[in-house]
Amino acid sequence: MDQISSAIDKCFSSLITDTDIKNVNDRKEEFNKFKNTGIPSNKYENWKYSSLIKDINNFSDLTISKKKPNVNLKKNLFDFSHDKIFLVDGILHDADINEKGLKISQYNNFKKIGNNNPLVCLNNAFACNGFELEVKENSKVKKPLVIYNYFTSQMPSTFINFQHKLVLNSNTELVVFINNIFQNNSKFFCNNVTNVELKDGAILKNYSTHENNKSSSLFNFYNVDLGYSSNFEYFNYINNTSSCRDEININLNGENAFASLANLQILDQKYNHESKWVINHNKENTKSSQFLKTALHDSSHSVFQGKIYVNSIAQKTDGYQLSRALLLSDLAKFTAKPELEIYADDVKCSHGSSSGSIDEDSLFYLRSRGIDEKDAKKMMIQGFLAEAVQKITDKNFQQLFLNKLALSNEY
Amino acid sequence: MIEIKNLKTSIEDKKILNGLNLKINKGEVHAIMGPNGSGKSTLSYALSGKEGYDVSGEILFKKKNLLDLNTEERAQSGMFLAFQYPIEIPGVFTNNFLRTSLNSIRKAKNQKELNAIDFLKLLKEKAKSLQINQEMLSRPLNVGFSGGEKKRNEILQMALIEPEFVIMDETDSGLDIDALKIVSNGVNALRNSDRSFLIITHYQRLLNYIKPDFVHVLSNGKIVESGDWKLALELENDGYGKYLN
Repeated sequence: MDQISSAIDKCFSSLITDTDIKNVNDRKEEFNKFKNTGIPSNKYENWKYSSLIKDINNFSDLTISKKKPNVNLKKNLFDFSHDKIFLVDGILHDADINEKGLKISQYNNFKKIGNNNPLVCLNNAFACNGFELEVKENSKVKKPLVIYNYFTSQMPSTFINFQHKLVLNSNTELVVFINNIFQNNSKFFCNNVTNVELKDGAILKNYSTHENNKSSSLFNFYNVDLGYSSNFEYFNYINNTSSCRDEININLNGENAFASLANLQILDQKYNHESKWVINHNKENTKSSQFLKTALHDSSHSVFQGKIYVNSIAQKTDGYQLSRALLLSDLAKFTAKPELEIYADDVKCSHGSSSGSIDEDSLFYLRSRGIDEKDAKKMMIQGFLAEAVQKITDKNFQQLFLNKLALSNEY
Repeated sequence: MIEIKNLKTSIEDKKILNGLNLKINKGEVHAIMGPNGSGKSTLSYALSGKEGYDVSGEILFKKKNLLDLNTEERAQSGMFLAFQYPIEIPGVFTNNFLRTSLNSIRKAKNQKELNAIDFLKLLKEKAKSLQINQEMLSRPLNVGFSGGEKKRNEILQMALIEPEFVIMDETDSGLDIDALKIVSNGVNALRNSDRSFLIITHYQRLLNYIKPDFVHVLSNGKIVESGDWKLALELENDGYGKYLN
């Protein structure tokens, strides 16, 4: 623990001596905030079920180099028409943007997020060379934007921090698909912070895949501020991922704002995943939905901490939360902590959580129709998970994820 | 076609079937009637291979002892159980399920599996007579289906798979008169000289629509009386009283 702390210290000192680095004082301040807490251990309530220390100790080489890796960007392109952003090892590498109303620039000035998450402070201290994407007022962007997020074998460090920003101005629409691509099985820790600002009437559909990550550990943090009548739809497809924590902080700051979060997870081996979602209903007539489906094989462990906070002025709030786990082995584990914190008296909030094995009666029904036990189980697992895909409102992407699901999960 | 010999079943030491004997020839329709708790549903589960029962005796179907086969192998060899309570399975879409089921059985019989286009053509044809529309088939399996829709869906599966031996477990339960007619017509359309049926029911009503060749009374896990369809009328008038102990 001490060793890793001093390694991070050294790394930070070398970072701020670099003449290209901006906001040095702010970074120092953030770094000190991080140091006050340190790497979150399970002493902290929020990190109780999924301590980071074991993960971080694996990544002691924290040197940062400026070597630019060579990547064949054309290799993994989707065959539908779309705009592209290429990130390589956390750095904006290239972009191909043709849709009107989209503007991309380098993002070096971090935005301080008013929460005390030590990893966000750490990210603020280190992150450079991310991107900022702006959608100009009244632009309904037709083509989806795919972010190809490469993790290469030439990764300059085992410690990556990157930060991006998406701003959707009034009356805009955008579909973003983040495709994480792991080119090899090297070990690293990646800390990724995304700031999203949705102005009045903006609609952002944010879909992502996180697959085939066999040895690294990821921390993804989203902060989303929603204005009047804006809409944030999030879907994350997690499959075969060794260690990941997804944290989302939603602020429903304008009336009629709506946020929908959905996760589909398939974990096996000793893999672990944690979702920490906080929805802050700060204005009246706001609506939110949290939906998580997880299929757990072997000794995998999934944690869900979902919170609905309702401010005293946020009357007529409608908050929904459901997390369900399918335990496919005696050693698989699901931990759920639903939290409601409500200060208004005219609200509708529901929460539920369940975990269990495959329903024997359903299995018997499918088998009695001539379907082999193995295929019947697969059908049931896929059916169970497919309900999360139903939360996707973009029909093309709904189909893309259903196809992906049909091809996955060959158990 | 099927011969059940001295079939005994128990669940957690509780005896349910106590040496049941029954022979059904090709093309015959047999009805089994009996009071609550007589073992009717257990019989359907024992025949279709549901796990959790201790079963002994012999069930000969096309010269094979079914007790040596698991549930899917029994279905693949031509047996079909229409459920009393068809199971709702969220996330599994009805048409996808139907195609997987049909193709599993075709594959086991060394028949060519149907591609999506051929399957949809066949499905449309079979669904029409059972008044099942496309919308219903694109929903998750049995989820939100009415009682009548669930039973029609069972008959649709039967019509697609074309099994040789059909067990119908209280198919009339939960059906209104119109749905009962649709379901019965569906079954009658499938009656032929090669296909046998075992109809399990409490009431004689269903047998007005699907006329059986033989009627048996099941009580305390055994067949205690057999006759033709008039036996069903007698039971309707006199009740099961005289067969209880």
